[in-house]
Amino acid sequence: MSFKELKTFDINKSLISITILLFFIMYGAGMLIFGRQGFAKPQVFLNLFINNAGLIVISASMTMVMIIGGIDISVGALVAMDCMILGDLMMNRGWSAWSSMLAVVILGIIYGLTQGFMIAYLKIQPFAVTLAGMFFCRGMAAVISSEVISITNESFVNISQLRISLPLLGTLNKHGKMIYPFIYPSVIVAFAVVVLMFLMLRYTKFGRAVYAIGGNENAAMFMGLNVRRIKLLTYTLDGFLVSVGGILFCMNTMSCFSDQAKGLEMDAIAGTVIGGTLLSGGVGNVFGSLLGCMIRGTAESFISFNGSLSSWWVKITTAVLLSFFIIIQSCMLIFNNRKISC
Amino acid sequence: MKKLSFSLSLNRELILPVFCLLTVLLINLVKTPDFFDISLTNGAYYGFIIDIINRGSELAIISVGMTLAVSVSGGVDISVGAVAALSAAVITNILSGGEAAVNELHAPILLAIGAGLFSALLCGIWNGFLVARLKIQPMVATLILYTAGRGIAQLICGGQITYVRVNAYRILGTNFGNNPLPTPIYISIAVMIITGLFLKFTSFGLYAKTVGINSEAAKLAGLNPGTIKFIAYIVCAMLAGLAGAIYSSRIYSCDANNIGLNVEVDAILAVILGGNQLSGGKFSIAGSVIGAYTIQALTTSLYAFGMPSAHMPVCKALVIAASISLQSPVVKRLLNKHGKKYFKTVFKTVFKEAAGV
Amino acid sequence: MKTRALAAGLWGLLAIILLSACGAPAETGEGVSDDSLITVGFSQVGAESDWRTSCTNSVMEAFSEENGFNLIFSDAQQKQENQIKAVRDFISQDVDYIIIDPITESGWDQSLKEASDAGIPVILVDRAVDADESLYTAAIGSDFELEGKKACAYLKAYLDKMSYKGEVNIVDIQGTIGASATIGRSKAFDDAAKKYGWNVLAQETGEFTQAKGQEVMESILKRHDNVNVVYCENDNEAFGVRDAIESAGKKVGNNIEKGEIILLSFDTTRAGLTETLNGTILVNTECNPLYGERLASMVKTLEEGGTLEKHTYIDEDQYSANELVKSVTVDGKTYPVTILTQEILDERPY
Repeated sequence: MSFKELKTFDINKSLISITILLFFIMYGAGMLIFGRQGFAKPQVFLNLFINNAGLIVISASMTMVMIIGGIDISVGALVAMDCMILGDLMMNRGWSAWSSMLAVVILGIIYGLTQGFMIAYLKIQPFAVTLAGMFFCRGMAAVISSEVISITNESFVNISQLRISLPLLGTLNKHGKMIYPFIYPSVIVAFAVVVLMFLMLRYTKFGRAVYAIGGNENAAMFMGLNVRRIKLLTYTLDGFLVSVGGILFCMNTMSCFSDQAKGLEMDAIAGTVIGGTLLSGGVGNVFGSLLGCMIRGTAESFISFNGSLSSWWVKITTAVLLSFFIIIQSCMLIFNNRKISC
Repeated sequence: MKKLSFSLSLNRELILPVFCLLTVLLINLVKTPDFFDISLTNGAYYGFIIDIINRGSELAIISVGMTLAVSVSGGVDISVGAVAALSAAVITNILSGGEAAVNELHAPILLAIGAGLFSALLCGIWNGFLVARLKIQPMVATLILYTAGRGIAQLICGGQITYVRVNAYRILGTNFGNNPLPTPIYISIAVMIITGLFLKFTSFGLYAKTVGINSEAAKLAGLNPGTIKFIAYIVCAMLAGLAGAIYSSRIYSCDANNIGLNVEVDAILAVILGGNQLSGGKFSIAGSVIGAYTIQALTTSLYAFGMPSAHMPVCKALVIAASISLQSPVVKRLLNKHGKKYFKTVFKTVFKEAAGV
Repeated sequence: MKTRALAAGLWGLLAIILLSACGAPAETGEGVSDDSLITVGFSQVGAESDWRTSCTNSVMEAFSEENGFNLIFSDAQQKQENQIKAVRDFISQDVDYIIIDPITESGWDQSLKEASDAGIPVILVDRAVDADESLYTAAIGSDFELEGKKACAYLKAYLDKMSYKGEVNIVDIQGTIGASATIGRSKAFDDAAKKYGWNVLAQETGEFTQAKGQEVMESILKRHDNVNVVYCENDNEAFGVRDAIESAGKKVGNNIEKGEIILLSFDTTRAGLTETLNGTILVNTECNPLYGERLASMVKTLEEGGTLEKHTYIDEDQYSANELVKSVTVDGKTYPVTILTQEILDERPY
């Protein structure tokens, strides 16, 4: 057991250091190459958080689910359904912003509870359950409304567009406007979630149990952990966090349609995996996933600053960047395993 | 129906998947009475049932490959849709000589299809290399081609839809000669028979199971898990490539954006509905194929009900949820304990009624 | 040891790829950053259809370096969040103008506000957005509802000319639900069906693709035996519908009296017009993707200090190989119908 722990710890540490290193190298390269076009501006860095606030929260949740050895591929569809409910409640039913958000979060918890029950108590494979969840949410989003809902609720708009500016490091642009770096409230929420998740997974009994179950479910059971209950809790928390992520996502896009957030589950999985979490469970770190999302965001910014790639080259370049991270990581992992077994 | 009852007596594991398929079909009998009508129009069979078997072909072919990949590696290959699009793009662009629309062939059809399958083979080698050699988790490894494959296909087509308006090319997707059944049905049956024979007369099936259950133990037993995984991913990609050829032949063009879109999800679903575990190990090809036809039956029935396609996922989700719950080990145990007899009688009457129709 | 060498090799490769992939265009980027060129950021939806690719190519040609532009192209891969990202990146890059082809009509207030705070004029293409009008400079687009009205008016005029008195049993194969083209064309269809008393048998989505169009039509034909007109909301769907009708043992054509099924279509892609020329599609209503020239001239006007009309529509034609109807009247305005010939088809750029 202690040997296994040692190994896990080592992998954990080395994966996160690789991720940090890669992110800095990548961002540095961007500053060198696109420095003249404004890549070095602090706002470009802050935009990574503004654009990805929802994704960061969802990746944090995905990390937890992956650590316990599961997966949730319904997140993209759940975000679409959350956006749709939010839009429908506020725009068509006249609910206030806060009560709609509360309703969405509560629905998310119920949804997570259902998935958790099927996975933990009926012992159905997580992939199968969340696949059904994915179809359900995507369909429900269309059932709620087949039209595009635009959110114009005043208090919701005010919350999402509240600009928190730094009073320094401003730049004067060509049009003679002074722009100070700013963030939106969604970024703060995302950060808070990541920090809380990190603390919870690392220092609470629940968090340690999640790692233990992911590492070896049978061993965890023999240790006296209530595996089923912890799994149920994990997926319930997942439903809650994804709904929070969905609200943040909605604050950025402000529009609801049934195809919203298509493929978000793949973005979240990619971000999490780049951040050093293993799909096989037991290994992972929420900060790693944050960095993973940042790395993906930076790669997208590269493509955007380049400004000459056609649609298909965007796909291919994204895949090439993705494969480099994945391959480097796997080589380091193989190397690490050999070092330990020697 | 004959085929189904045959597999039923063959394998007890298949009872649940067959039950799901029959339930879906039975609902149709009530809702659309002429669902089972088959007529001969223009020398070709015509009817909802033919539609299901015809349109389910590609999915059935892909799910055969997916079953192997899942069983060996305990992970899913999500690049199949993109590989199908890539293979279709290669085929149509060789046939059209790189132009956007042609009315005559610029290359022999067999050569083009060979090239398409070769491109799928390359994809399979890449996936296999990542999964078997570099030991990357399958879903993440195939995420690369999932992202890039469609991009490469679009690059080949130049972002346009490539049309090959030649009747000879349409054979793969429609009927050949005066044959009353659409060609895809024959292709999918051929794929199933070849895979079945391959698994029966070689030890690959056994090896695949062994590697899937415990890769380390298989290694100690003298197998090479890497090679087995490699072969499974190549087979999976090749079958996806073949399905891509059928997709493109149906519409005698290559629409790189839409060929095989989301088919990976349906294929994984077929594997699940077939009673297979995504964690690998024991597998049933017949189950996956039945799963694939169940999905198609569901889609075709919902079209027949006139349901808006955007709402379909909800019904799909409910059917999946019901079926995976039935297959859950906990529910199975409960059924075995309390309801075995009851369940059996219900099932038998339902089956008899279905056979009577 | 071997793995370490492999890892080192991969690190090296990563560095090389990064430098070559991004370095090469960056050099040209430095070359054009002199002030004589107008920097324009263009956020495109994606490349989901050949119509869209024609649109992209037209814009890329018009905003070439020879014409005095430095175009920063950003492809959103059909995701709204990517477009919002792109606008923020344009602002960081300090472009002179931003052009957006929005994926959805909604959700633009926030990013447009960021652009207007940075003093960058925004031009919208293809469809308007429901954001505050002061946030963008101009919008140019297709009037999808007018397109639908023109197609319906043509059908009405054609049937009248044929003096067809029988029932019109019509099917609407819609585009992707929520797309503005679908909304506009479906609305025109609904209104016309009510106005002219057409019998709507089914209204289902073919998602703008040939395969889906065929699948949906196959199912409809099995449920309804008496379809005689199909209103397809784009060309690809029309091809699928044609195949479905033929495999059901019916005929596509213009002669409704003889039981032939009439097809109406939109977009006028080259493939679609080829089918229009041979009489498969009765009338094909244009949806013009060639925005490039218009946009370039709009930007030039703004650069010279001129002002632009807030909302303009691009001119769109209607094509048929049938000479029975020469013009259609919609809301009191008359629009000519071009009689399609091989020469016209050959001259068209897309």
